[in-house]
Amino acid sequence: MYGTHRQSMNETDISAPLSVEGSKATQKWLRGQWRLARHSIVLAAGLGVLGGVLLIPQAWLLAHAVNAVVLEHAELAQILPWLWPLPAIFVARFAITYASARVATRAAIIVKEDVRGRLVRHLQALGPTYLHTRHSGELAVTVVEGVEALEPYYSRYLPQMALVSLMPLALLVFVFPQDWWSGLVLLVSAPLIPLFMVLIGGRAEQLNQRQWRKFARMGAHFLDALQGLTTLKLFNASRREAQLIARISEDYRISTMAVLRVAFLSALVLEFFATVSIALVAVLIGFRLLHGEMGFQAGFLVLLLAPEFYLPLRTLGTHYHARMEAIGAAEQIVEILNTPFPARASGHARPSLANAPEIHFADVHYAYAPGREALRGADFVLGMRRVTALVGPSGAGKSSVFNVLLGFIQPQRGRVLIDGHDLTRLDPDHWLRHVAWVPQRPHVFEGSILDNIRMSDASIGIEAVRAAARAAHADEFIEGLPRDYHTMLGEHGQNLSGGQVQRLSLARAFLKDAPLVLMDEATASLDPETEALVTQAIARLAKARTVLIIAHRLRTVRGAERIVVLDNGRVVGQGTHEALMFEGGRYARMVGAHDVLPPLVQRLL
Amino acid sequence: MLNDLRIIGRLLRLARRYRAWMALGALISTVTMLANVGLMAVAGWFIAAMAVAGTAGALMNYFLPSALIRSFAIVRTGGRYLERLVTHEATFRLLSELRVWFYQSIEPLAPARLKHTRGSDLLGRIQADVDTLHHAYLRVLVPVLVAMAGTTVVTIALSLYDVSLGWLVLAFLLLAGVVIPFAMRRMGERPGSALVEAWTDMRAAVVDGVQGMSELRVYGAASRQAQRIDDISVGVGVAHGRLSGLSGISEGAVGLCASFAMWGTIVIAVTLVTRGTLQPPDLPMLALLVLASFEAVGPLPLAFQKLGETFAAARRLFELVDAEPEIAGRQTPSPHPRDTSIAMSGVRLRYESRGSWTLDGLDLHLAAGTRTAIVGPTGAGKSSILGLLLRFWEYQEGEILLGGHDLRSYQPEDVRNLIAVVSQDTHLFNTTILENLRLAVPDADEQSIVRAAQAAQIHDFIVALPDGYNTYVGEAGVRLSGGQARRVAIARALLKDAPILLLDEPTEDLDPQTERAVLDAIDRLMAGRSVLLITHRLAALEDRVDEVLVLESGRIVERGSPGELRRAGGRYAHCQDYLLERSSDAEPTSSPFNGGTGDA
Repeated sequence: MYGTHRQSMNETDISAPLSVEGSKATQKWLRGQWRLARHSIVLAAGLGVLGGVLLIPQAWLLAHAVNAVVLEHAELAQILPWLWPLPAIFVARFAITYASARVATRAAIIVKEDVRGRLVRHLQALGPTYLHTRHSGELAVTVVEGVEALEPYYSRYLPQMALVSLMPLALLVFVFPQDWWSGLVLLVSAPLIPLFMVLIGGRAEQLNQRQWRKFARMGAHFLDALQGLTTLKLFNASRREAQLIARISEDYRISTMAVLRVAFLSALVLEFFATVSIALVAVLIGFRLLHGEMGFQAGFLVLLLAPEFYLPLRTLGTHYHARMEAIGAAEQIVEILNTPFPARASGHARPSLANAPEIHFADVHYAYAPGREALRGADFVLGMRRVTALVGPSGAGKSSVFNVLLGFIQPQRGRVLIDGHDLTRLDPDHWLRHVAWVPQRPHVFEGSILDNIRMSDASIGIEAVRAAARAAHADEFIEGLPRDYHTMLGEHGQNLSGGQVQRLSLARAFLKDAPLVLMDEATASLDPETEALVTQAIARLAKARTVLIIAHRLRTVRGAERIVVLDNGRVVGQGTHEALMFEGGRYARMVGAHDVLPPLVQRLL
Repeated sequence: MLNDLRIIGRLLRLARRYRAWMALGALISTVTMLANVGLMAVAGWFIAAMAVAGTAGALMNYFLPSALIRSFAIVRTGGRYLERLVTHEATFRLLSELRVWFYQSIEPLAPARLKHTRGSDLLGRIQADVDTLHHAYLRVLVPVLVAMAGTTVVTIALSLYDVSLGWLVLAFLLLAGVVIPFAMRRMGERPGSALVEAWTDMRAAVVDGVQGMSELRVYGAASRQAQRIDDISVGVGVAHGRLSGLSGISEGAVGLCASFAMWGTIVIAVTLVTRGTLQPPDLPMLALLVLASFEAVGPLPLAFQKLGETFAAARRLFELVDAEPEIAGRQTPSPHPRDTSIAMSGVRLRYESRGSWTLDGLDLHLAAGTRTAIVGPTGAGKSSILGLLLRFWEYQEGEILLGGHDLRSYQPEDVRNLIAVVSQDTHLFNTTILENLRLAVPDADEQSIVRAAQAAQIHDFIVALPDGYNTYVGEAGVRLSGGQARRVAIARALLKDAPILLLDEPTEDLDPQTERAVLDAIDRLMAGRSVLLITHRLAALEDRVDEVLVLESGRIVERGSPGELRRAGGRYAHCQDYLLERSSDAEPTSSPFNGGTGDA
């Protein structure tokens, strides 16, 4: 139950009431997953029942031995026949407990691996546009801890459910012939326990699910604060942040305890009923023994078995929290798994494309949301074997052009033609094999430099990687690192400067050697010398490729053979730098307005 | 590496304030456990005595045993509830404090000592690792106290009947409560730490997979990343399987010990009954008492098995808490700066104790109220100067004077109060624009916020948003464009209103129009302040600075006004020529800067 302080996500109001249907659907999903590990769960439950049933001969032998001593004044030698088989039963029950635990965990492991795999792949299929709407910290919590929280549901709760429905029945069948009074007490009291638990459990469940959301939000807040620690420090605000962290933690503790108090209360009710029933059985037996209405052996046997009758129910009570926890975690998992994929290219065409395709944007429209139009009829051609620069103010639609070409978004109107093939008809994976991309802020993955450049594709040898790194002028700094290409980056390794990361990303692009190269101001964080070298390398690369560069600076633009000027989602000019300057349109204004450029450069414009 | 005993000691010290709570919890728990033992024992004796009385036709006082059964039942049921409330309340209060404690401990480490620690890693520590510590208190500390008290009471009680009974049960209790737990601890250590490691790897792989998804997809590596997560997941499963096998043994072993102890008790008790030293109804009583007494040690094997996980989490916390901050806080009050001048002489800095010097004898003087630019190639050490001035990094040699006093004589916070920074990687927090601005001055009124935003040329954009200043900026400001985010950062720096301004590549990554808007904003920001501008391309800001310093390999190699430098025909001028060459499509034959390796 301590997983109440594990996780989950989403931006909805924590105090919002949870829909009953949603919770029902989640439970259905949870139950549905058991099929994956059906055999193991059934086996675990079977072993559990076997271990429980062995209690009957154990109690029977004990009752015989004790009865013989207490009432018949038997000596040790006389009761040995009853005592000797007991150790064998003890050992057998031990072996069964062990086997059952292993089998049940295996079941949970199978389910977890499957769910996690599906979750990761579903997130990948949802793609980058979806991810922009979520906190990566929260998603990580769902995939790691959220899936982990499913474990006890399959390894404990489900097998225990089976045990609860079978064990008490088996014991009742045995107890009734021994003493029907006791049988009656057990029979009547047993259904009361789950009844009360469900009544209390409903409330706990609701609290618990809120708790998961709180946990996830706490995580998102912490991650934000920790990643911005340096900025907090710049403003001497990190002490103030400590107060905020204290407040969030306190709030979290208070709600954790609220959940636990309900959980403890349900345990209290359970214990109370079990204890009262056992006491009642003991008293009933005691008085009938006193009045000689029943034999001690039967009485003692029933007294030994009575606690075992409630034990599966009591254990279920503790696992009930495992169930609630799993539901809380599953809610987030199901939410992600049920998120429909954005409109995606579903084409299957896999034409062989030229090694430098011509790309035609024909009247392309795209709006991220109604009223948030990014492209409004963009129309231009990227010539083969050319470097085209895409310029325009922020929000002009430059990134959306990239997103369309990368297949992250689909044109809502108009078409993108690749050598005459409609992009939406192409198999997305097939198409992406023809694209290399250098983003503005490349991601550095945890792992070696080697794996960062070859993107963990072990089939690519180090020589090819080295050649790509040389082309991107990354080779020199890599060779200077402690373990050159095997230097670890990311969490457990070295951090690189902005310029180094940029060159690493360029090396990725060189290695991929794709017909279409998309670059988002690839030389932005480089010093002039490196920039010059890298620009040459890009020029070499472009000789046989189609290259599109989002340009923020004039220098990059001037290196391009062709310029496309975007404004407000439309093309407002295209041509060479000189031609555009001559035309004196948006581009000339943009450049002309740039009077902050050094006089030398200005003279050239 | 901390050894286990020291970790236990430190965990106990951390819980010092909750000593009384924990003791109370342990006391209630012990009483509850003993009530259960009593309940079982009296119930066993009661029905045996009733049966004996029934067959003998004798009278029997059943009031006392029934009263005992009733009260034991009540104590047991209520005690369990109370004990849980007390121990959990104490533990979760403690964990809540530990989160703050951890945050406060790592805050002085940023950024120098956290350079290699990712946000996701820190998150894992402050959230999951702190959570894991509940185990040490709830599952280990309190149960160990209960086991010690329970074992003592039960052993003494049995010894009163027969010494050999006492020894027998003590032996089995020690086996179940000491030998098996320690064996489990040893056996659980390796899979336990493997599990923690696998989780760390998985968290990193998942965060990578999410944040780097675009690249994974374009480079066809998405399925490999998914496969990698699958592989780690399998690793988690293997470690989990091993641990569950051990849990199976733990759970079964206590039961096995209890059964054998009861069996032995019956054997001994039967001979005692035969000898006449024990009443027959005492036999079932003792048998059930022994069986129930193993509840005292029951939780220990499982708890000890998970200690590996707990200690690993504690180690990860202590590892950072124990790290020496790069700059220690000062107790003495800061001197009063005479002005806002900065003077560095012979300053040397290196990041690794035997690495090469990043700053190698740096001399510079910034008179109060002047604007100075430092230019130089990537890796020349430009950003390091910033880190020094902000007291994020310590320098090894030389002297820095701020306002005429040694920089080290100030409290780091007082130094930072004098400085506002705009850099390309200023973090925007995932909250509203308003809250992000208020970071600079928590109690800033609306008027001054709007003034700052107007000066930063971002006010009009903000009020055009549907939620205005209450718009959420998204994780790390993703919902804003680069230029918008930069201007919010400038507004924040304006709001701070510090006399010294540090600009680190303030217009990097911006398109010309945005750059122009940002520069206008910077113009207003610079008014009346001492400014240090760091950049590798001065172009846009050239006529806004009084002096340019050219930094190369950690040293100033040239200084003067931009015009002087161009005329002098040195490196700076060369750099300008190079621009010219590029513009006329001539390839540069030599380079003005020898590219450094890596900007730390």
